[in-house]
This record gives sequence, structure tokens and C-alpha cells, in this order.
Amino acid sequence: MLREKVINLEGCSYKTIGLLVLLSSVFLCKQAKAQSSYDSLNVKLPKHYFNTIIEMDGYNKPSVSLDTTGRRELNQKIDAHLKNYAVKQFNLSFCIPLITKEKKGSGADSAIIENSHLLLTGNFFSLKPVFEGLSQHTLTKRGIGLRYIYNTGKKGVWFFDAAPFVTRDITYRSRPYMRLSGTVVYSHNVSDNFNWRIGATKSFMWGNRLYLPFIGLRFGRLDKINFSFQFPRRVSLNIPFNPKIRMSLYSQPQGGMFNFSNHDTLYPKFAEATFHFTRYEINTGLRFDFKLSSHFNFFVSGGISSKNNITFYSDRANNRTNVFYRTYFYSASPVPTYYVQYGLVIKLGKTRSYYNNRNIYDAIDLNSGTDINDNNSQIPVPSKKLPKSTNLQSIEDLIDFTEF
Amino acid sequence: MKHAGKILILLVLIFGPVVLLAQNDKEKIEALRVAFINKKLELSTSESEKFWPVYNEYNEKLRAVKKNLRQSYKRKPDIISDADAEELFKLEAQTKQAELDLYKQYSERLKQIVGVKKMVILHLAEEEFRQKVLEIVKGKSD
Repeated sequence: MLREKVINLEGCSYKTIGLLVLLSSVFLCKQAKAQSSYDSLNVKLPKHYFNTIIEMDGYNKPSVSLDTTGRRELNQKIDAHLKNYAVKQFNLSFCIPLITKEKKGSGADSAIIENSHLLLTGNFFSLKPVFEGLSQHTLTKRGIGLRYIYNTGKKGVWFFDAAPFVTRDITYRSRPYMRLSGTVVYSHNVSDNFNWRIGATKSFMWGNRLYLPFIGLRFGRLDKINFSFQFPRRVSLNIPFNPKIRMSLYSQPQGGMFNFSNHDTLYPKFAEATFHFTRYEINTGLRFDFKLSSHFNFFVSGGISSKNNITFYSDRANNRTNVFYRTYFYSASPVPTYYVQYGLVIKLGKTRSYYNNRNIYDAIDLNSGTDINDNNSQIPVPSKKLPKSTNLQSIEDLIDFTEF
Repeated sequence: MKHAGKILILLVLIFGPVVLLAQNDKEKIEALRVAFINKKLELSTSESEKFWPVYNEYNEKLRAVKKNLRQSYKRKPDIISDADAEELFKLEAQTKQAELDLYKQYSERLKQIVGVKKMVILHLAEEEFRQKVLEIVKGKSD
């Protein structure tokens, strides 16, 4: 058959071949036209799916007495020295999308759009543990990190985060300490209403250097009522009342590992200039997020802070190569108190359109759950009804002038 | 850092009402439009996961093309030269061509995902929603 076709082709005149070439080039030109007519207009689309986010929040806990009864001698001495304990903290975080790459499938996979995102993250954290018997110390944590998110375009999203940071007691002369926290998570969207995650994290949130598994489950859509269990970070029931107000009932750990100057000679054995102050607590409460516009949010939250713990670790007694710090010279478990947190989220820039794109929603949720405390302010929550009136200018992108 | 909390509250009090007044309905209506279409189409999980990224991309490009034309008209003064008029005339034709080409290209891709029946439902749903929005706008101008 093939041989016959070849012979037939050989038999064709040059005119016929020329005609075939012309026809096929016309066909190819028509195919390319769809792309070229759009490209020739040279319109610019936003580059990224993520907004640049700047988030500031404050957190306060009232003073409680440190119990001195039934404890070892050194603990009692330090208790008497410290007297009362309260917390004031301020956090400033940002997240900037740097590179977004998109890849489209071909053939049977032509509907699949994979994308990868590289983001720059930053964090400035200031903690003031208020001990009545001590002069005021300000402990800081400053860090800049990178985050890579890969959306497979099918059901999975990969999340990688590396966040090096430096902790320091800025009140007195102290040695800064460099540390690294990181997270690797694979998130699988079984359906709009169910998602599971698995991974690992190196975190200081629980008041020590811990390597923990990351296990997550979510029931319900991210833009509707959902219940989310994300160990070791957060358990929450999220209820969006409308596009502007969202409520969350949640429980999450809060803490960290900081450097503390031995200016007050809390550690008597060695004249160490710096030791490690760690704290953690589990905050259970309510959070309200108010979406003022597409660029501003603010939130208030409050509740009970329980399982409080503060510990002082000597640097010498704990080998840095150990997985976590074991030898401490002071530890206390203050009684539960209330806490108050309030913050402002600023979103800058325009993003690509991602309505109902559950992988992008999931990527935003992964990003939001690590350091950026914006509670998914980027995910649009649909309202139940249309506004009663609007002006044409505000919706000119949605309808044509010619439709009037 | 001493007064960080107070500064934060102050920022919310200053900027909160300002941005609240400045915001428009675009985002709200767009979210509602998407929810409306989603409801009408009754997409399965696998259809939904493929449909929305492609449909969003189509709408994004289509709007960018229309906006480009709109802005070109706004840039020109009321009385324009023949050369400017010629340029706008060409741009108008180019835009219409790009709209049509985008439609052909993306409707084919979307048809492969959801099938021809749902493409017709999509068109009807878009039209129905557009009418609802037009009614609101006309109501205000009356």
C-alpha cells in the first residue's frame, strides 16, 4: 500500500505538489492565527497567582504568678526572682511571589495546567516576656526564607518551605543564634470537599527544636464552611458568614525558642552571656476576619491560653547536635489565662484569575498556614445575592458597553 | 516596637473606613457569577478540576483584550485626528478578531472537558447572569 502511495506521489505533477504545499500552509496559518491575533494586541496579564502579603499582628496575655511550691531548689529561687509572667508580642511577616511558571499539557492532557511558584518570605518577630522581678527583655526573631509550591494540575500540590532565622535578645549584649525551620508537604485534593496532607516539618513552635510529621485533613470547601485538622499547626472550624466576615473556632500552639541575655544572672552556674528561653501555649478561641476590601483585612481573636510552659535551657548543657534540648535549669507551667490577638493584612498587586481552581485555593491555604497569618484572605467567598445597585464603571470588565 | 500595637490599631482605624468606601462591586459580582455558572453546570469532580483553570484563563484573556480597547478609547480626546481614528478602527477590528479566535480556541478545549451539552448550558448561564447584572445597572441609571 505504502509503495503504491509513494509511486502515486511520484506520478503527481509538480503543480499538484505545489498546490498541496500551498493548501497546507494556509491551514497552518489559520491554526496559528488564534494565537497571533491575541498576541498581536500585546495585552499584559498579571504574572502571579499570589498577592504580595504584608501581615502585622499583636498578641497579649495578662500577668500570672509563677508558682514556687513543691519544686526543686533552683526552680524556686528563679521563681522568686521572676515573680510574675505576662506576654506581649508583635509580628510582621511578608510573602512576595518572585517567579510563576506555567506549563500546559498537550493532546489528551491539553486541559491540564501545571504551575510552580517561588515566593520570598520574611518575618520580624518581637517578644516581650514580662517578668515582674526582671528588667524588660525584648527577644527578636528575624528571618528571610524561600517557599516553592508546585501545582501538578491534577489532584496534588507540593509545598516546600525553608526559613532560616536569627534569634537575639536585643535589650542587652547577647550572642545571636541562627536557626532553620522548614516544611515539606504533599497535599492531595480528593474532591472539593475533602483534602489530605502528609509531610514533615522542623519547627520551634512547640518550644523546642522538633522534627514532626505533618498530617492534615480537611472536610468542606475552603470557600465555604470547613473543618480542618493540621497537625502540628492548627485545628479549626471555619465559617464564612459572607464575603466580608469569616469566623474561625480554633486551637493552635504558639511558641518558639529565643535567646535570653543572662544580664540578670538567672543562671548562676556559669557566667553565660546568653541562654535559651522557650515558651509554648495552646490557644483555643474565636477569630473574626473582616475583609475591608480586596487589599485590606483585619482580624481580632481571643480565647483561653492553656498548657502554658516556659523553660530556660543552658547553651553549654545542651549539645547543638542533639535533636532537641533536654537539660534545662528552670521550667514552669503558668496557669491558663485569656489572650487577645489583633492584626492587619495588606494584599498588594493583581493576580491571575483562579476562581474555583481548587489546587490554587489549596496552594493559598498551604501558604497561609505557614507563618503568614492571613487566614486565607485571598480565597474569594461568593455572596448569596447580587448587590441591589452598582455603577457601570465598577463592573465594566464584566459586561460590554454594547449590551445597552 | 514599643508602640507597635497602638500603631496597628491606628492604621486600621484610618485606612479601614477609607478602603471600605473606595471598594467596588466587581469582585463580589464576579465571585457570584462563577458560583452561578458552577451551579448551573453541575460539574463532576474531574470535570471541575480541569474546567475552571481553562475557563479562568479564557475569561482573563478575553477581559484583557476588551480592557485594552476600552483604555485606548479613553486615552484619545473627544476630537481625534484621522490617524488616531484609523488606529482605533484597526484596533477595534483586531480586538473583535482576537475575541473570536480566543472563543474558538478555548471553546474547543472546554468542549473536550465538559462535552457539547454543557457548553450550551454554559452559554445560557452566562447570558442569564449578564441579564441580571444589566438589570441592576439599568435600575440605578433610571
